[in-house]
Amino acid sequence: MHRAVVAAVVALAAPLWASPAASPAPRVEVPPCPSATDAPDVARLVERTQALLQGRTSTGTMVMTITTPQWTRTLKLQTWAKGEELALLRVVEGGPRETGMMTLKRDKQLWNWLPRAARVMKLPSGMLGDSWMGSDFTNDDLVRGNSLADDFVATVKGTVDVQGKRAWQVSLVPKPSAAVVWGRVELLIDRSTCLPIEQRFFDEDDKLTRRLELSDFKRIGWRDFPTRMTIHPAEPGRQTTIVYQDIAFDIDITDDTFSLHRLQQGR
Amino acid sequence: MLVQLAWRNLWRNKRRTIITLSALALGVTGIVSLQGYRESAFAQMLESITTQLVGHIQIHGRGYQEAPDIGNVVADPVTVEAVVRGVLPGVRPERRVLGAGLVGTEDTAAGALVMGVQAGQGSFTVTKGQSLTHAASAQPAGALLGVDLAAQLGVEVGGEVVLIGQAKDGSVANDRYLVVGLADAGTHELNATAVFLLLEDAQSFFGLGDGVHQLVLRLPTDDEDLSSPLAATRGALDLKALEALSWNEMLPELKNTIEIKRQGQHSIDVIVFLIVGLGVLNIMTMSVFERTREIGVMLALGTRPRRVLALIVTESMLQGVLGLAIGLALAAAILYGFGSVDLGGLASGDVMGIRFPTRVELRMPLSAAISAGVTIIVTMLVGGLLPALRAARLVPVEAMRSR
Repeated sequence: MHRAVVAAVVALAAPLWASPAASPAPRVEVPPCPSATDAPDVARLVERTQALLQGRTSTGTMVMTITTPQWTRTLKLQTWAKGEELALLRVVEGGPRETGMMTLKRDKQLWNWLPRAARVMKLPSGMLGDSWMGSDFTNDDLVRGNSLADDFVATVKGTVDVQGKRAWQVSLVPKPSAAVVWGRVELLIDRSTCLPIEQRFFDEDDKLTRRLELSDFKRIGWRDFPTRMTIHPAEPGRQTTIVYQDIAFDIDITDDTFSLHRLQQGR
Repeated sequence: MLVQLAWRNLWRNKRRTIITLSALALGVTGIVSLQGYRESAFAQMLESITTQLVGHIQIHGRGYQEAPDIGNVVADPVTVEAVVRGVLPGVRPERRVLGAGLVGTEDTAAGALVMGVQAGQGSFTVTKGQSLTHAASAQPAGALLGVDLAAQLGVEVGGEVVLIGQAKDGSVANDRYLVVGLADAGTHELNATAVFLLLEDAQSFFGLGDGVHQLVLRLPTDDEDLSSPLAATRGALDLKALEALSWNEMLPELKNTIEIKRQGQHSIDVIVFLIVGLGVLNIMTMSVFERTREIGVMLALGTRPRRVLALIVTESMLQGVLGLAIGLALAAAILYGFGSVDLGGLASGDVMGIRFPTRVELRMPLSAAISAGVTIIVTMLVGGLLPALRAARLVPVEAMRSR
């Protein structure tokens, strides 16, 4: 699911994390953070953020907590991702009927393995905007990945105070030709560390529809990775939090992990 | 005696009387048959509503109608049913579970309205295969698909579908079902989305326990006014946890449409009878005017003015009653002669989730006959009274001198 969440994060701030189709090699050298400047090079910020959040491959375990006015529930998920196109998540602990459920992203499409039905179901494209497993992440967040890469124009708007930190406010406006559901996206990057701390999503009427907070950065290899991500939708009383228990980047994962045939066997 | 006299007077000028009667009869025919048509259509709409999905009254968890939520249920429908049976004799309750989901096969899926219905209940017609039954060891459980949904998914009777949705506790509900039959669910929308499960299967799918979303009450009445059964139901329920709504509260637009059409009908009635009334006033005035001398003689011979007044009014009323009778007979002949009207292209199919019949069985509503009768009598009374008053006030000497 880490991959999925990264995908989500990336979808949210697509152009900033835009990367060529080929995955970047592990990076050890991180360019210095231009903390002093009020108008940093947006392209450099993108490069940093992308390097931070994406690996060639990744695998991890996370706990997703979904809170709604009616109920709160917790799922433990295991995730695998390879490049931009392949991702698999598996519910390791959840309700009795959902433990063992898997979602496979492949070829920009999603398949679900449903453990009780013991069947695979392909998600119709019309359902991409719907919630993933009742969370505040949408299927679209999982599937779109970097497809919006070239669809925004990024500008640094200034500096604001967020979560008690000074942050650059980067505004992302979709290009006229882009098929983007958001009217505008804002990305807030901590000036002292160059780490992304929040994203804000606005609809076409420029109304804030959801916020994603990134926090609890932990050193994983050379990375400072946000191990806690929280989505706050506009709907009051709802939120979804993801906390990584462990995550590893750039290890070997075979393509077979993401095979549809395997999914159909429920393995 | 008075009636005989009036009757004879009427036929002294046959042509005039026949014209008056024709006007009256045509007016009554037109209005009663129009109203008959309209009321027949309304009655059938009402029947569609009450026998199909909606029913007369529904009981939900409080707030469900406003904002349906999978977790908002009537938790103990058995007890609620018992309470309702106590206050509404003859009521037929039906328990229903409603939820959203995704139904599909490995390759394709579509949004679904999952409806849990009791065996033998549910407002659908099985067009292929069989209905839902409690087959003891059936695994997977059976499902009926809306005909268009089945076609969209490419699923036949005997095939298998997977259902996925969100349970009451937020978890992912998923299961596999055997398609035992296809159903015409009543409307295009439902046919393209409905998946019918047995109530118990739907309850376990959504994790509802014994809870249901709708307790549909059907009453042994054709009455449109449900205020007293509704009040009785509300009085018997714990309104902190539940709500009871009549069909017209759940479909306010429909109720409004009917009311607006009725009001339109009433204004037409008023205009038609106003025209008829003025015509009668004119004719009776002429009739009295022509007989000024005669009336003068009657008065001179000792006939009391009150009696003259009564005579003229009786003449008017006789025409009214006769015109009414002919008009009603004609209207009945038209309505029952046609028997039914095919609305075909006019009002095809579904309005607000209810399928209305395209063929309206015509009946003559008693209410239309009564309202036409009352209106005609009042019109003729007023139309006859003015000239009658004039006649009664005539001074005999002057009247006899007129020509």
